[in-house]
Amino acid sequence: MSGRGALRGIGATGVALFAAFAFTPLPNLVYGVLIPNAPPLEPAAAIVVLGAGADGDVLTDDSLRRALGGVALFRHGLAPLLVMLGPGREPSEATVRVRLAEDLGVPPAALLADSRGLTTRDEARVSWEDLAPRGVRKILLVTGSQHVPRAAALFRRVGFEVVPAPVDDVPNGPRRPQARLELARALFRELLARAYNRVAGYL
Amino acid sequence: METAFILAVVGLTSLGVAPFARRGARRGLRSAAARALETIGLGVVFLFLNVAVGFCLALVARLVARGFVSLYLNDDVTIVALSALQALVVQWWREPEAR
Repeated sequence: MSGRGALRGIGATGVALFAAFAFTPLPNLVYGVLIPNAPPLEPAAAIVVLGAGADGDVLTDDSLRRALGGVALFRHGLAPLLVMLGPGREPSEATVRVRLAEDLGVPPAALLADSRGLTTRDEARVSWEDLAPRGVRKILLVTGSQHVPRAAALFRRVGFEVVPAPVDDVPNGPRRPQARLELARALFRELLARAYNRVAGYL
Repeated sequence: METAFILAVVGLTSLGVAPFARRGARRGLRSAAARALETIGLGVVFLFLNVAVGFCLALVARLVARGFVSLYLNDDVTIVALSALQALVVQWWREPEAR
């Protein structure tokens, strides 16, 4: 096949994949296959909310959603301690989230911020350093639903007993083409991250 | 409903513009579509290349500079737009000069 022919083939495949992901429920089906349903929530010794990014002292949408998810679990009495993670220069994402939680009525004594974790694996390690001395083993892990399987595996690996508490960063049954593409992008990114973690021996 | 609406709008504008485009056409529609697929294919190649190189650079930066570069930077949507721009420039570069 000539160079032009190969490019046409790649282009046609790209257009077909774009159409399939944007204009059919394919991303929803892939989501159903890749992301298992979370088990029912149960009480734990701490709620750990994973980072999702901030720009200065403004949390990203994902970060805000996860932080609110953690606060909601705390307000439902599912754990006595709420750990907010998220890196960055002060005020770090973790600090901004702790302030938000305080504004929403979580007592300062029940809050812990740790901004040392730069990756999910880091976050598992620093959470263990923070919580193991307090005797915490069982945690409610708050992160995006597509991120839960990898994050839970990394947290279990350092010693935690994990109860997944997923928050939907992207809608998981979208009907609008743009939302379907966002879901496909999130799933593709997560697949790459899982592959990287496996190759690196982290999973 | 949303999908049908968007496809209907694009279909209508395509049909509306087609008579005007045909007047100044220098090649057949089939040939134009093939060229478009080539450009898109080139864009996909650039996208994979950019993501792969970005991934490697981020890992090298972590190892060598002991600094942290997030792998998620390679997920930025601007990379798609810039890859398309790269493809357009290369495609036009390879086109014969207009007389």
